[in-house]
This record gives sequence, C-alpha cells and structure tokens, in this order.
Amino acid sequence: MLFGFFILTVLGVLMPRGPRSLAMQTMAFCIFAMAYDLCFGYTNQCSLGHSVFFGVGAYGVVLSLLHLQSGILLGLLIAFVAGMVVAFLMGSICVRLTEAYFVIVTALFSAIFHLLSLDMTWLTGGDDGLSVTLPDISVGGVRLSLYDPMTNYYFILVFFLASYLLMRRITEAPLGKVFISIRENEKRAAFLGYDPFRYKLAAFVLSGAFTALAGSIYALTLRYATADLFGLYWSIIPIVWCLIGGVGTLVGPCIGVALMFFFQYYVSAWWTHYLILFGVLILVILRTSRKGLLGYLLGR
Amino acid sequence: MASEVASALLFYLVNGLIWGLIIALIALGLSFIFGVMGIVNMAHGDLYMLGAVFAYWIFSALGNFWLSLLIVPVAIGLLAAPTERLILRPFEGHPAVTMIATAGLSFILQQLVLMTYGGVPKELPMPLQGSFDFLGVAYPLYRLFIAALSLVIIASVWLFLHRTDYGILVRASMQDKEIASAMGINVNTVLVFTFVLGCVLAAVGGVLAAPVTQVFYLMGNDVILLCFIVVIIGGLGSLGGTLVAALVLGGVEGLLAYFLSPTGARAAVFAFMVGVLILRPQGLFGTQRG
Repeated sequence: MLFGFFILTVLGVLMPRGPRSLAMQTMAFCIFAMAYDLCFGYTNQCSLGHSVFFGVGAYGVVLSLLHLQSGILLGLLIAFVAGMVVAFLMGSICVRLTEAYFVIVTALFSAIFHLLSLDMTWLTGGDDGLSVTLPDISVGGVRLSLYDPMTNYYFILVFFLASYLLMRRITEAPLGKVFISIRENEKRAAFLGYDPFRYKLAAFVLSGAFTALAGSIYALTLRYATADLFGLYWSIIPIVWCLIGGVGTLVGPCIGVALMFFFQYYVSAWWTHYLILFGVLILVILRTSRKGLLGYLLGR
Repeated sequence: MASEVASALLFYLVNGLIWGLIIALIALGLSFIFGVMGIVNMAHGDLYMLGAVFAYWIFSALGNFWLSLLIVPVAIGLLAAPTERLILRPFEGHPAVTMIATAGLSFILQQLVLMTYGGVPKELPMPLQGSFDFLGVAYPLYRLFIAALSLVIIASVWLFLHRTDYGILVRASMQDKEIASAMGINVNTVLVFTFVLGCVLAAVGGVLAAPVTQVFYLMGNDVILLCFIVVIIGGLGSLGGTLVAALVLGGVEGLLAYFLSPTGARAAVFAFMVGVLILRPQGLFGTQRG
C-alpha cells in the first residue's frame, strides 16, 4: 500500500490534467471506501445511511467557508467533527438494532436527510447546490492555493495518506482486534467482557467521521455541494466498492474504487447503460467470493 | 370557509388512503418474500415500476388498459420464478447479502427499462371516466376502483393463506423452513411460489397506480422505503398489520401533504417511523423476531 502512495506521489508530477483530476476524485472516494469498510468489513454493520455523513461532510466544509469564513483546514475539521457528532447520534439509535432493522433504519435516515436537504433550499441550495470560492491556505507562512491543480493533488494525497495511516493504526490496535472479534462472533466477544454495542458504535462513529472527511474533500474538488450527495446512490456505492475490492481490509476498498472509476469513465464512454454491468458484477462477486477481488486472490 | 377546508382535507385523506392501499399490496409481497425466504428485496420497488411500465406498453400496443391486469401477473411470474431459482437462491437467509444482491438486480432492471422505455416520464389516460360524489367531494371513479380491487386482492390473499391447504404450507415455511422441509413439504416450490406471489402483488400495484402517477423508470425508488416501513410497523407476516400500517401511513402522509410540502410530509412520516422503531423494534402489531 505504501508503495502505492509512492507511485501516486510520482504520478502527480507526470500525469496530464485529465487523469490527474480523476485521480483526485478517486482518492476522495478511497477515503470514503476505507471509512465504510471500517463499519461494514470490520464490524459487519451493513449501513445504508453513509450518504448522510458524506453529505454532512460536504456541507460542513462548504457552509463553514461560506458563513463562518473559516479557512479550508478549519472547515475540514468542522466537517470531520460534524460527521462524528451526527454518526454518534444516529449510531446510538441504530447500532442496537438487528441486521435487517439496522439496514432499513439507516436507509430511513439517509432518506430523511435527502428529503430535508431538497426541501430546505435556504440552507442547502437544494438540487442546484451551493458553490464556494476557496480561500488560500497558509501553512507556516507559505500560502497555497487549491486552484493550482498540482497543489490540490498533493493536498488530497496528504489527507488520503493520513486517513489510511490513521485507520490502519486503529484497525491494528487492540480496538481493531475487538472489532474483528465482534464481527466473527458477537456473543463470544460479549462473553469475554467486551460490550458489543459500545465497540460497534465506536466503529460506526469513526466510519462516519472519515466519511465526512471524504465528503468534504470531494466537495472541495468540485467546489460545490448539492443535496444529491445525500441520495441513496451514495449509500449503495461504498458497499459495491468494498465488495469488489475486498471486505475487511483497507487496501481492498481502494482497489474497488479504482476499478469502479475505470469502469465509470471508460466503459460509460461506449455504453451509457454500464450500470447493468455493474449489477451483474455485484451478483457475480457475491456468488464467487464474498470477500471481493483481494479476498479471492489471497484465498487461493 | 370551514367546510371548504374540511372537504379539501377529506380529499387529501381519501387520496392518501387509496395510495395506502396500493402500498399495502406492494408491502404484502415484500413481507412474504422477507418472511418466507429472508430476502430483503431492494428490487421490490422496481417490480412495481415494471408493472406500471408493462401496463403502459400494453395500453399503447393494444389500446386497452384492462388487459394489462391479466397479462402483467403472468409476465412478471414468468420473470420472477427463474430469478429466484437461479440468481437469488444461494443468498437466501443472509439479509445483508440479499440486500446487496437485490440492489444489483435493481440496477439491472432500472437500466433495462431506461434502455427500452426511455427516461421521460409518461402518463396513461384514466381508464374509467366519471366521478363519484362522496360527502360533497367529487371523487374520480377510477380511484375508487383501485381501492375496491386492492381490498379484493388483499382479502383473497388472506383467504388463500388461512383457508387453503397450500396456504398452510406457505405459513409453515414462514415459521420454520427446516422443520417444514422435514415434515415433507416441498420447500423448493414454496419458495418459488412465494417469490412469484410477492412480485406479482407488487406488479399489480404498479398496474393500478400507472394511470394516477407518472410512469418512470425510477418510480420504484419512491415506494420502496415506504413499503419497508409498512412491513416493519405492521409486523412480519401479519396481513392485517400490514394493511392497517399502510392505511395509517397513507392517510397521515396525505393529510400532512395539505400542510407541508410533499417532501416535507414524507420526511415527517419517516422521522415518525424512526421513533416508532426505537420504541417498538418488533413493530406495532408484530410479535415475531426481526
């Protein structure tokens, strides 16, 4: 994985403009995918409500830039914390529920946020969204502008790397081991003295916070946020990323994102109904190996 | 003035209740499929959509709306049976996995319809003209037909489940698949049958709704969450509960639509449901597992 980051660092200089902007979006989605897997792959909570955090992150940074005139870094922090708070509130309601109910209640939350964001145009701009101009970032006396594509690329790469390292630290720490033990056998973990609710909630909150970070970075690359980011699409797509790449790892979801992006940009060029292939792909993967491509390769 | 408000409210309420009956049809199918086979069918809304799209096709080809009430169930049945047997069977019993698989199925169905039917919403003419005076409100006759037919279908499903031999087999499989199988019930055919029945119910809901809504390839997304709520609130496998929950939801959403925007009304209903689920995770009427 670190080798992958090295390649990304080198490629940043070499890549032409088009692929580089694709790579920037891909990296934002990689953070999303890894964050989702923290919840889905590590504690087996199949949430359909992650679009809430994605949208909250995007609006968190855009609104704090527009109304608080906060800098970009402070805006990202606000988005991260907002995602954490929303995830905590949502999680304390949902995490207790059994599998099917958890899926449906999180989907309900996603629908409520989507409907409200469409309705409250004074705050969110509704379907049209809110656009934002990005102020310069000053770090230690150096002023950086995200309008410079190269700066923007490395800015996102830094956050991608930082998120990966943080999440790897979490999953390799004892906390991560408890997550996995709960995934494998919740009753036994409870018997050993770990309260499953608290740990599942912790995973949910961490996942929500990093998802919000991904949303805010995505909003920065788009330079706007719209109510669409709360839509159900953004709740289903991370499941697909994780499934394609590999559930229960951090690298797998990133592979899934990269493959999907390849699909979306090159297959959609010659066939607009590529979502059919997408659906077929989901069924085939579920049928052959539920652990995704990485799991399939490692399992051989 | 007051009577005008009252009659407007009544109109919204009746509208909501009739919508609730259509939702009840769809949700009933969802409840069977989940109750018997453990499939969280995310593609269920798309079967409703398929019903409406087929109705549109049949109307434009044959010029007769009523024929679609006969043809659509057969067509959907022919589609659904192999889908269950060949695609969904290996995933059954794992709610999260079936949810993802059916979400994939939903993508496929929507895109196939988009390819053939197009992305523009279309409308069907009312198959029944005329209106019915109900407490001073003129009400379109076709909507009353929707209500009547839905009630007849729901009643016959109840009779089927509780008064026929095959209904007993279905209920037995719903309670415990393994024991039912051990008792000599051919669970395989029960599974296929239940899936087909559930899909046909959704498609008939789509046919009935086609003339009163816009026929659109994403129209399933509007109903799917509502149906899940109805199933949960009504309690799994509880036919009466599903009907009551659908009527209450439809009525409340109809009334709220008078005061709030339609999106606001739906958000309020969803928020209310979240509250109900926190207080009573087993649903308002259900006593079964989740």
